[in-house]
Amino acid sequence: MSNVVPVDEFVTDEWYPGFKPEYGYTPWSVEPFRTFRKEDEERFWFLDFHWPRGLTPMGLIWNEDGYSWGTQLAAEALPLPPGRGITQRIAGTHTYASSIDVTDEWEIGHRHELMQRNLPRFLENFDDIWAERRNEVEAWWQHLKGFDLRSQSLRGLGDYLVKARRFHRRSFEIHFEIMYPLLANYVGFYGACVDMGIDPNEIAKFLQGYDTKIMETDRALWDLTRQARQSGLDSVFLQHDATQLRGALAERGGPADEWLSSFDDFLEVYGYRTEGSCDIALPSWIEDPTPALGMVKTFLQKDDNHDFDAALQETIAERDAAIDSARAKLTSEEQEVFDAGLASCTAANFPWWQDDHNYYIDLRVSLPMRWACLQISEAVGADRPDDTIYLFWPELMQVVNGEKSYNSFRSLVEDRRQYFDYWAERRASMPKVLGTVPDAVTDPILIEIFGLNDHFLRAVQATGSTEDVKSLTGVAASKGSARGIARVLTNADELHRVQPGEILVCESTSPNWTPAFAKIAACVCDGGGTLSHAAIVGREYGVPTVTAVGLATLAIQDGDEIEVDGTNGTVTVYRRAANAAEPVEVST
Amino acid sequence: MKPVHWLDDMQPGEAVGLGGAKIGRLVEMMAAGVHVPRGFVVGVDAYRAHCQVTGLDERIDAALAPLPPDAGEDRVAAAADEIRAAFEATALDSELAGEIGKAYQELTDRCQQSDLPVAVRSSATGEDSSDASFAGIFETYLGVSGPDAVLESVRACWTSLFTPRALSYRLQRGISHHAMPMAVGVLELIQARASGVAFSVHPITGKRDRMVVEGSWGWGEAVVQGLVTPDHAEIGKSDARVLRYDTARKETISEFDNAAGRVTESAMPEELREARAVDDDQLHAITAAVRSIEEHYGHPVDVEWVIHQGHQPGDPACIVQSRPVTVAAQEPEDAPTGWNSAAFAGKYAFGGKK
Repeated sequence: MSNVVPVDEFVTDEWYPGFKPEYGYTPWSVEPFRTFRKEDEERFWFLDFHWPRGLTPMGLIWNEDGYSWGTQLAAEALPLPPGRGITQRIAGTHTYASSIDVTDEWEIGHRHELMQRNLPRFLENFDDIWAERRNEVEAWWQHLKGFDLRSQSLRGLGDYLVKARRFHRRSFEIHFEIMYPLLANYVGFYGACVDMGIDPNEIAKFLQGYDTKIMETDRALWDLTRQARQSGLDSVFLQHDATQLRGALAERGGPADEWLSSFDDFLEVYGYRTEGSCDIALPSWIEDPTPALGMVKTFLQKDDNHDFDAALQETIAERDAAIDSARAKLTSEEQEVFDAGLASCTAANFPWWQDDHNYYIDLRVSLPMRWACLQISEAVGADRPDDTIYLFWPELMQVVNGEKSYNSFRSLVEDRRQYFDYWAERRASMPKVLGTVPDAVTDPILIEIFGLNDHFLRAVQATGSTEDVKSLTGVAASKGSARGIARVLTNADELHRVQPGEILVCESTSPNWTPAFAKIAACVCDGGGTLSHAAIVGREYGVPTVTAVGLATLAIQDGDEIEVDGTNGTVTVYRRAANAAEPVEVST
Repeated sequence: MKPVHWLDDMQPGEAVGLGGAKIGRLVEMMAAGVHVPRGFVVGVDAYRAHCQVTGLDERIDAALAPLPPDAGEDRVAAAADEIRAAFEATALDSELAGEIGKAYQELTDRCQQSDLPVAVRSSATGEDSSDASFAGIFETYLGVSGPDAVLESVRACWTSLFTPRALSYRLQRGISHHAMPMAVGVLELIQARASGVAFSVHPITGKRDRMVVEGSWGWGEAVVQGLVTPDHAEIGKSDARVLRYDTARKETISEFDNAAGRVTESAMPEELREARAVDDDQLHAITAAVRSIEEHYGHPVDVEWVIHQGHQPGDPACIVQSRPVTVAAQEPEDAPTGWNSAAFAGKYAFGGKK
């Protein structure tokens, strides 16, 4: 029990000031979401990268609907032989997650048999299943988007909010129903490839080059960039901060009006998307287009347009070459295994889905609940539009049902805002892991998406100061190497700080970080494996990427000069930002 | 009793009994259509007769009798020294010596080269059996030339039955030296362009869908003894496709030293060091032989092969030794026999826990 990170400082019954939930408050399938207790120290918890600011009370719903409901239900349905999905605890406003392990050997064997029966069925019908589920999500979405909330009574807004949450929960049932089997199949193929002697760095390439909804969005953003350049609007973009761009463009008129009209068309299709995954606190681009305008602004700072078609052709050529080269080294018996496995993984393509589904689920799923909360705030005369997201679900239900007046929560909301800010400040120093660090974990989402592989577990077990670290290692996620200035970001809001040619260093990336890959020279993440978002997008954009470094955001300081070797999975810190005048320190 | 048997005179069924394991297998392989060196063997019976008529048997038994199965290193070494000293002090019976000399002369005639350099190879009965390989325990002398040197090498091969290593290997396994009388093969030394070893299955993983060839320039001693990192090739068994060829940096070569009259190790010439030692045609010649041998015996084999200096495309490779594979011979039990999503997911997707 030597590798135990104590949980004591986070142990409390109170979720936020003034809220201690009753038993049964939260929906769950196997194990409910809650705060830390001392006995949780016996399990292994890792800091979830999805919400670097922390979660508001309404935001915590994701933990309930996504993890405690979605993952656990899906893990029981497939089932995962050794696991019942993911559960989580809050430390302040920050989420720590853990797997729920099946320990009984008979049951693991039994679940293995069930999985053997269910997985092939799913894979054979993947196209139909995903199309049906997508249609279902899309129907919900169109229904909820069609409401005019301003005309609703408070009770009507409450009814809408309940529906919006049903959509939210159903979306995550679907999300994990698809994700577990798709991922399990991919990891099986990956393992078979490694067994056949295929270079692990090559395997993800076999499935690249298939266009996704997210790439479609990026392409549209570049089309807008091209249009801005052709219309001579460069100077407007370069002279104004992203927050002022809309006003400045409107003032300019002429071609700028045309551009804004194109931009609004763009938003209508792609703008229902938040600057982060599954967080009710985040506005969509429609509500606040600053991120999209900021992207166009940084794209304009690059000398040339990103040629998506050329890049895609290159990606496809690289894929076909990688497949040919790998096949040539296999015996004809192995080629049969490889070809069938590749066909299966191409037809039910996990890396593709991992990007594509974000458009349909993660980046928009919390918006209807957000719209309802904002409208309720207005209806009850809250001080700020988003005050109501600082209420918990039962509290907000009391307000919309007329059981309690909003006024009785007003001062509590202020306390909770301060509480949120306090914990947001603490984020950078939160332990990456808590409890008992194991030698290995079994949940494929934790291994492949969160990057809780052997390397990460070793890295977080290592003690000692990170100040002296000159050389870091991680998973070689996307090949190539680059040297440049490190931008250590805690969340996507700061992406506009990243200049072309700089290196992005962060806990992990989400789909809303994708456009930045067209301008960065390299990417380094604390977490993630070969299948995390940064790894997939890094390969699509040809950006050298190292994931699962463990402590990169602590060991690298903003402004450091670093070199990223995505082929070998190493990061070298050459010069400390604070000591920029000193000679280059070469790592050993 | 015939003390000497020609390889091309023996019947496959009797060859191992007459000429020991190694030489007997060469005869069997020849019958299976595999190209092997020309030569003869000083038979098992000749060794037995030598030990009997000269009184060596009694002296060996006297030296071994007091040794318990778990005898310490020192006692084994002392007994081994005593027996080898006895062998060295015991001259060959003149009739036997004459037969061997005559056979060597005939071999030089057959090969049309005077003072023909030959390989003198130990061929003990029961060596290379599947449960006790005796790999590398008995001597082989490459490049021996002239009748006197051949006789000397034959005697040295006999003596190698009683090195401390051979003795303790037998003691640990409870094998009597009487159970493995030593024949000695005298074979033309193939003028080697390249040599090495080959496996009809992957020697590490046990995968049976491929053959592995390792080789270097010159004679095979440096490869067999691990003095050089050889080139490594893998060839698909069903379609004879070369799957990979890793060219190693080869620092040492075994070559025939005319002055010393034997094969010795020296530094690899610079121009050969990083050059590919075995071309595709030669790989195909080697693997065709390996396949024939494996099919003939019905179990995985490893072989030592030589590509002749005058090798032309389409020529066969020469096989100088073969034995059953004794390490990692088992097919991995979960070797893929086809794609199965659920099986592979179960194996790899859940942290190794099914």
